[in-house]
Parts: sequence; structure tokens; C-alpha cells
Amino acid sequence: MPQDEALMAATRLAATEAEKIRLSGVGKSFTARGGAFEALSPIDLGIRQGEFVALVGPSGCGKSTILNMVAGLLRPSAGIVFYDGRPVNAVNRAVGYMTQKDTLLPWRSAADNVRIALELKCRAVPRQEADTQVRQMIELVGLAGFERHFPAELSGGMRKRVALARTLIYEPETLLMDEPFGALDAQLKLLLLDQLQQLTMLRRMTVLFVTHDLGEAITLADRVVVFSARPGRIRAIREIALPRPRDVFKVRFTEAFAHLHEALWDELKDEVVKGTDV
Amino acid sequence: MPGRLGRPRIQAARSTDGGARSVLLWQVSVGVLLLSGWETVGHGGSGEWTSRPSLIAVLLEQWFAGPIYPHIAATLIEVMVGLVLGVVFGTVAGLLLGRSPLLSVVLRPIIVAFYSVPLIALAPLFIMFFGLDLLPKIILVAIVVFFLLFFNTFAGATEVDKDLLASVELMGSTPRENFQKVVAPACMAWIIGGIKIALPYALVAATTGEMLAARRGLGFLLSDAASQFNMTGLYAALFILMLLGLAVSEISVRVERYLLRWRHATG
Repeated sequence: MPQDEALMAATRLAATEAEKIRLSGVGKSFTARGGAFEALSPIDLGIRQGEFVALVGPSGCGKSTILNMVAGLLRPSAGIVFYDGRPVNAVNRAVGYMTQKDTLLPWRSAADNVRIALELKCRAVPRQEADTQVRQMIELVGLAGFERHFPAELSGGMRKRVALARTLIYEPETLLMDEPFGALDAQLKLLLLDQLQQLTMLRRMTVLFVTHDLGEAITLADRVVVFSARPGRIRAIREIALPRPRDVFKVRFTEAFAHLHEALWDELKDEVVKGTDV
Repeated sequence: MPGRLGRPRIQAARSTDGGARSVLLWQVSVGVLLLSGWETVGHGGSGEWTSRPSLIAVLLEQWFAGPIYPHIAATLIEVMVGLVLGVVFGTVAGLLLGRSPLLSVVLRPIIVAFYSVPLIALAPLFIMFFGLDLLPKIILVAIVVFFLLFFNTFAGATEVDKDLLASVELMGSTPRENFQKVVAPACMAWIIGGIKIALPYALVAATTGEMLAARRGLGFLLSDAASQFNMTGLYAALFILMLLGLAVSEISVRVERYLLRWRHATG
């Protein structure tokens, strides 16, 4: 693969020290029912250490595919995904990934699901300390009283919160989140957005956040990337220069927010229309 | 917790309480009708073939005063020991082959080939090898159980949700931890399902083995009574086997409901 090697060398030079994730010429096509279709056209995108990047776009534009490739669960059909300057070619253990699909272990209670990362040998948190952390995390996501429930006994929104707690509890350096707050009611969503902002700022986490809620993206992100309808391409990238920490409850009523929302919506709306035509 | 999970079911039962009572009434009536019909036929000309419930009841009373227990114990020991052996080996083999494509390709056809032998037909062979005591029956039970557990566990191990594995791997789990935290518990439902299916087969295997050659056991009682044209003894032995079969299935349902309570939970 001489081409890939040349590309790698070129991209290494281009990548700056502080770049955490670099997608260089990354595209993905799938074969389904005998035909190949392109989910993601080759794109270039860099994400700095500690940056919060939101990906928005119509359904099926390859946003989740990008997260899967950064996590090392999918191989790109074209290009290379770099993490810390090294190509990702196995499961990427530096990231915490909250998938859109519910991957809670159904035989574990809510608390035991939240605890699982702390049980692993690579962390091996002493039992009592883990108990305390689990309790705090459960409270943080508003699930006190549901510790002993199995996932099948929880509502969709509650399961999302368990998944969130399970990912946040071990504080991975990079968070990949695929519509984490989709199924939540508005009040709770704001509370969790606030917690997420605090935690990611405190730990200087790098976050790649997929959402279909433009307001959510503007509230949290340093940069919002708008994707086109399938095959996904980057249609626009906008810096969100709102000062931090942001008041997630009030920021959406500011004028700056309204301007950003309008500008981004202009980019997005054509694509959403195209996306729903399919 | 079982109380909380059970609540909807109990309420449902309570709402049809009257219905349940009338069903029970019907069941008792049909039972009484069948038994009294049998009793009447037994008093007629063909009494030597049909025996009579009253005679069977008297015999059962005599048996339960003492002589039956060694027979029940023999059958139960064969079932239990054979079950444990079969479950252990079947589960281990199923997990190993289910998670290792290489082992599976090499060994699975061999196991399938062995399974194609009607297993009960192996009983004479084991009796020749291991004599008249419990051992040949234990081995027969173990083999029957082994295959059922193997195929069930194998299916479970190959169908572990890849997304669940990936989610734990991303947290930094080792292959060993993947097995402990995801593969093994995910297979648990299949293993328990396998045991549930295997229990009645284990009872069949043990009794069949005893009928062919034994000195004790319920199967021995059955063939012994038959060889003496003792119809009452035959029916009495069948009755005990029926009770045993019912107890076995009831226990397995309860154990399953407890171990897989996360599955029965309603959301």
C-alpha cells in the first residue's frame, strides 16, 4: 500500500502536536443487498486535544460511521484515521464510546452496569471506592433509587443515562457520543448538558458529539460541523465563540446564540430536506 | 426483588381468580371421572391387565412405608451425577468450540457424527463395560445431557452480541475479562435453557438404562413388575416416575425464573 504510506507521511507532517484526532481522506462505503453505496465521501477533519466538536446532519449521512471508525470498530474504505498521530487499526481503548444503540449488559443491574469499567484489571478500583463512585455517578444522572433495576425494567431515557454514567465514570481522555440525550425530556437534558460541560472542561476531555439537535450542538461545542445528506460530506464548519463556562439554561436565549442557530440552520435545512427525500 | 418483579403477574392472576377456581374444579372432576372409570373397568373381566386405582394405591402405600426409597435414590443419583457431568463437559466444550473457530471447524463435525448414534442404543454397550451398578446409567445420562448442553452452549457462544463485546473492549478489557464479563453471562440463558431441556431426557436415559439391566432404580421396578405380569406394580412404578418428572420440571422452571430474572423483568 505505497499510496497509504505516502498519505500517512504527508498527514503526519501536517498534523500539529496538539491534534488528538485526524481524519485524512476518510471515506466509507458499505455493501448491502449486492450493491455498494457510499455512506461517507472522503473527508478531512482534525480535532484538537480538549476540543468539543459537534457533528450535525441528516440521518444516514455517516456521522455514526465516523465515531465507529475513530473507535476502531470499523475500518475506513478510504483514507486513514489517526489518533494521537498513530493510525487507528484496532479497538481504540483511549476513547469512551456511548453508542446510539443500547449496549448495557442486560444481566447486570443499573449500578453494576455503571461499575463495569472500574472492575477491569487495567483500572482495578478498590471495591469501596468503586461503590462511592458508582453512587455519585448514579445520582449525577438522576437515577438514585433505580440502582438494582435491570435494563429491561428501565425506560429508554433511563437506559441512556445509565450508558452515560457508565462511560463518564472512568473518565476516558476522549469521549465519542452518538445522540446521547436523544430520548430525554428537556429539563433533564439541560441538567445533563451542564454536567457534561463541567466534567469535560475539568478533565480537559476531547469530545466528538453526534446530535440532530442544533441547539444542543451550539450550547456545548467549540466547533459545529454540518454534514450533507448521504453520501456525507462536510458542508460547513463553524466556530462557536461563546465564552465558557456557558450557562446551558440561558445561553440559548442570547443574541449570539440566535445568530449561530440561524446561520447553521441555513446550512442544514437543505440537507435535511434532501435527506428525507431518500 | 422477585416480589417486585412478580407483582404484575400476581395482579393478573387475582383478576381471573374465579376463572382459576373453576378450571381447578373441572380438572378435579375429569380426574375423578377417569379414576372411577378405571376402577369400574378393573372390576370387570379384564381386571388382570388394567389393575385398579385402589390396588395401586394400596401398593404405593406399602412401597412408601420403606422399600421404595432405595429405588428412588438410585434413579435420582444416576440423574444428578450424570447431569452434573454432562452439564460441566457440555458447557465447557460448547464455550470452547463456540469461541474458537479453529476448534469448531475441527471438532464439531466429529461431535455431530457421534450425536447421530441413537444414544439410548449405547446402553447395552455401557452395561457390558461397566456392569449392573449405577455407573453405566450415570454415563448414559451424562452423554445424553452432554450433547444437549453442548449444542445449546455452542449456539449461545457463537451468538454473543458483538456490540456488547465491543463496548467492554473499548473500556480496556482483556480477552479473559471479555469472557468473564460478557461471553459467559450471555451464554447463561442458553445453558439454563439446555439444562431445562436435558432434565426430562436425563430421567428417560436413567430409567431406560435401569430397564435393560439393574438391581435397583425405578426402571428396574418397572421391568421387574412387567416380567412378573404384575400390572399393579407396573402402574405404581409409572405413577412414581410421573411424580418425579413433574417435580423435575417444576424445579427447573423455578430455578430458571430465578437465574434469568433479568430476562423476565418487564420494562
